[in-house]
Amino acid sequence: MSVALQVAITGLAAGGVYGLVAVGYSLVFRLTGTIAFAFGDLIGLGVFATLLVAVGTGPVSQTNVGGARYALAVVCGLLICIAVGVGGYLLVVEPFLLRGSTVGWIAGTLALAFALRAVLQSVFPREAYVFPDPIPFDRLGTDGFVEIAGASIQIRAFYVIAVAIGLALGAVWLLERTKIGRGLRAIAEDADGARLVGVPVNLFVPVAFGLVGAIAALAAIVASPSAPVTLETWPLVGVKALAAAAIARFVLPWPALLAGLGLGVAEAAVAEVHVGSFQPGAGWSALLPLGLALAILAARPPDDARDDNE
Amino acid sequence: MPATTTSESLTPGRTVSELRRALAEARHAWSSRAWLGTAVFAAALLLPIVLPRDVAVDRLAHYAYLAAAAVGLGLLVGPGGMPSLCQGVFVGLGAVISARLGSVPLLVALVCATAVAALAGAAVGAGFGRLRAVYLAVATWLIAWGFGLALLASPRIVGGAQGVVVGPGRIAGVDLTPTVHYELGVVLALVAVLGRGAVRRSALGLQLEGAAVTRAGAAALGVPGAAARTRAFALSAALAGLAGALAVHLALVADPAAYGPYLSFQLLVACLVGGAASPVGPVVGIALVGLMGPAGEALGRVTGAETARFGAMLSALLLVAVLASGTGGIVPAIETRLRARPRRAASEVPIGQHTRAGERLEAQGLVKRFGEHVALSGLDLDLEPGRITALIGPNGSGKSTALRLLSGSLAADEGRVRLSERALEELPARDRVRLGIVRTLQRPPAFTGMTALDAVAVGAAADRPARAARAFFATPAGRATGRGARADALFALDTVGLRDAAARLCDELTGAERQLVAIAAALATRPSVLLLDEPAAGAGAQEVARLGDVLRRLRRDGLTLLVVEHNLRLVHDVADTVLVLDGGAILAHGAPTDVADDPRVRAAYLGRGVPVADDGV
Repeated sequence: MSVALQVAITGLAAGGVYGLVAVGYSLVFRLTGTIAFAFGDLIGLGVFATLLVAVGTGPVSQTNVGGARYALAVVCGLLICIAVGVGGYLLVVEPFLLRGSTVGWIAGTLALAFALRAVLQSVFPREAYVFPDPIPFDRLGTDGFVEIAGASIQIRAFYVIAVAIGLALGAVWLLERTKIGRGLRAIAEDADGARLVGVPVNLFVPVAFGLVGAIAALAAIVASPSAPVTLETWPLVGVKALAAAAIARFVLPWPALLAGLGLGVAEAAVAEVHVGSFQPGAGWSALLPLGLALAILAARPPDDARDDNE
Repeated sequence: MPATTTSESLTPGRTVSELRRALAEARHAWSSRAWLGTAVFAAALLLPIVLPRDVAVDRLAHYAYLAAAAVGLGLLVGPGGMPSLCQGVFVGLGAVISARLGSVPLLVALVCATAVAALAGAAVGAGFGRLRAVYLAVATWLIAWGFGLALLASPRIVGGAQGVVVGPGRIAGVDLTPTVHYELGVVLALVAVLGRGAVRRSALGLQLEGAAVTRAGAAALGVPGAAARTRAFALSAALAGLAGALAVHLALVADPAAYGPYLSFQLLVACLVGGAASPVGPVVGIALVGLMGPAGEALGRVTGAETARFGAMLSALLLVAVLASGTGGIVPAIETRLRARPRRAASEVPIGQHTRAGERLEAQGLVKRFGEHVALSGLDLDLEPGRITALIGPNGSGKSTALRLLSGSLAADEGRVRLSERALEELPARDRVRLGIVRTLQRPPAFTGMTALDAVAVGAAADRPARAARAFFATPAGRATGRGARADALFALDTVGLRDAAARLCDELTGAERQLVAIAAALATRPSVLLLDEPAAGAGAQEVARLGDVLRRLRRDGLTLLVVEHNLRLVHDVADTVLVLDGGAILAHGAPTDVADDPRVRAAYLGRGVPVADDGV
C-alpha cells in the first residue's frame, strides 16, 4: 500500500509534465505535420534561462531566492522559450514545409536541439545544479516530507502535480473552449479551409509553437527544485513525452495527456519493481515507454495505400 | 524471366570470361570522374606520410570509419527516402559486440558484429520501413535514445559509464596501429561508396528509388517496396556495424556515451551536408563535420569560453545553411554547377525484349460498396487478347473502381475475376502484376529526379531478384539485374515512341510524355493484360493521335487492353468494343459507332451535362 501510494504520487508528478509535453507534440503534429524534436531542449532552455536570471551560473546552495527576482526569472525564462520557439519554427520548420522537404525540417529541428544543448553546456559546465524554490517546502513536515499510510512523500510533489495537471487542464480548456483553441483545431483539421474562413494560420502556428514550449517550460520550472537538474534531464523528458504522444497516436487532447500521466506512473512503478534479487531500477524504466511506442508505431497500417494519388 | 543465368554455376572458364567482360566494361566506363576518384583515393591513402605532426592520425582514422557508416546511411536517406535517425545505434552495436568478443580472433568478431548489425538493421527496416517519413523518423529517434539508455543501464555489458577497455587487435599478424586503422578506414569508405553506386545501378536500387519517389506508382507496378527498404536497412546497418567494430579497437574503449543519439545526428548531418543523393556526398560531409571539431576548439580558444562546445554548434549551423540553400548538399551542388550529373546515355544500354502473349480476363458480378454508396453493382466483363475494350461513362459511374478491382488494389465485395480460367479474387495487386495484369494510374506518377529510362526500369525491376549482397558487391548476377531491367525499359520506351527521351529527367517531360512513360513502365512489367486509366487526360490532338498509334501497336502485339477514357475521339479511333458504365452497371455495349447512337447513352451523358464529342463519334 505504502509503495503503491509512493509510486502514484511520484508518478503523477512526473507524468503531469510528460502529459503536458505530449499534448504539445500532438498539437504541433496536428497543426503542421511535423515533430518538434527540439521540444525537450527548448524546455531545458527555459529552465536554465530562469536559473541564470535567478541565481547565475555559480554553485547554488541556497534553496530560496527573493520572490520578485524569482518571478522576474520565470518571466525571462518563458519569454526566451517563446522567442526561440517562434524563431525556430520560422527558421528551421516553415521553410522546409513550404518546400515539401521532410528531411529538411527533421534535420533542422534536430540541429536546433543540439545547438541549444551546446549553448547550455558551454554556459553551465557543471554536472548538476540545485534549482531555487520560492516556496519553503522543506520547512513543512519533516524536512519537506510527510508520512502518509506508511509512505514518506515529498510535500513538493503535491504542488508539482497540482501545477502540472492544472496547466494541462488549462491547455485542454484553451483548445476546447476558446476561440483561439477552435482556430487551432480548425487549422489542425484542414489548414487551407481554416485560411479560407479567415483564421490567421501564418500567425497562429508559430505562436502556438512558442506557447506550447512556454507552458511546458513553466511546468518544468515548477518541478525542477524537487531534484538536482542536469542538462540531460530535459532532452530525456522530451523523448519520453514523444513516446507518450506516439502511444496516444498524437490524438488531442485527452489521449496525449493520459498517456503522459500513465507513463509517469508506469515509470515510477518499474523503478520499484524487484524480480528476485534483480531490480531494473530507473535506468531501465525509461525503456518501457519507448518500447511500447515502437510497438504501436510498428503496428500502424502500411502507408503505401495512403498516398495513392487517386 | 530476367537474365540471371550468369550467377549460379561459375566454372573457372566462365569466371575468366566474366572477368574479361567486366574489365572491358570498366574500361569503357572509365572516365574523368573515375580518374579523379582514383587520385583522391590514392591521396587519402598517402595522407599519413605528408601529415604535419600535430594532426593525430587516430582522429583521421575515426572519421574514415564514420565516413563508411555515413555512406551506408546515405543509401537510406538518398535513394531510399528514409530519414533514419538511428544509424549510430548500428555503429554502437558493432562496437559493443566486437569489444565483448575480445577473446576470439578479431576477424571472427568483425564478422559477428557485422552480421548482428545487419540483422538489427533488417528488423528496424521490416518494422518501420513501410511507414511515412515522419513516423520513421520518430521510431528511429526513439530507437537511438533507447539504445543509448539501455547501454548506460547495463553496466555488466559495457562496464558502466567508463565503458569496456579493448585491446588494440591484430588482423593476419598485423598490429592495428592508428595508421593501419586509417588505411583500413579509407578502404572501407571506398568499398562503401563503390557498393552504394552498384546498389543504385541494380534492380534493388531501382525498386528502392521508385518506391521512394512514388509509393502509389511503384505499388501499382508491383514493386516490393517494403522488402527493398528492409534490404537497404540491412546493408546500411552492416556497413555501420563493421565500421563500429573496427573503430572500437582504435578508441581502445567501448564508451556507451559515444553511441548516443548525437552520433546518429552527426551521421545524418554528414549525409545531408555532403549530399545524400551522391555516393561520395556523405564522405565529403564527414570531412566537413570532422573539420568542425578543430574549428570549434580554435573558436573556443579565441573567445576563451569554458569547455567550449562550438563544434556541435558549427555543425548545426553548417547543416541549416546547406539545407536552406536547397541544393541537396555540397556534392550535388557542385555536380549541377559543372553539369556533370552522370546520366547513362541511352545508346550505351542494350535493348531488351519483352513479349508475353495476351490472356483473357473475365469478371463476373463485381460489386463494390463504400458504406451506403454502391460504386459497382454487378459488373460483367470479358476482355480478349488482341482487342481494345474501352470503358466509358459519366464521372462517378464506377470506371476507376472497376480498374482497381481488376488490378487488385481494391478488394471486391462480391464477384469473380479470372485470368485464363485462373481465379484471382484472393490475390493482392502485386501477385496480379506478376501474373500479368498491370494498371496505370489516372495521374501518372511523378518519378521526380529519375531519368525516363530509370523510371520505366522501375517496372522492369519489380519482379527481378534484388539480393542486397549481390547488388552491393556488384556480382555478375547483381549487375545483370540492373542491366536487364534497363534493357527491357529501353524496349518499352521504344514501344511507346519515347526512346530518344530515355536520358531526360522525368521532371522535364510534358504531361502527355509522362503518361507515355507510365505506360512504358507498366509494359516493362511484361504484362498480358494492360489496364489504362484515362491515358489521354490533358493530351492535345496530336498527342492523342500518338497515343492511338501506341495502343494499336500493343493490340497488334496481342496484348489484352482495357482503356478507361473520357476522350471519345480516342475511343472511337481505337476501341473494338465500348462498354458504357452508368451508376455502377453496364448501360450499353457494342462497337463504337453503335454505342454512340444509343439514345440511352446520349441521355446518360447529356443528362449530366457532359458534352458528347459529336463530330468525332
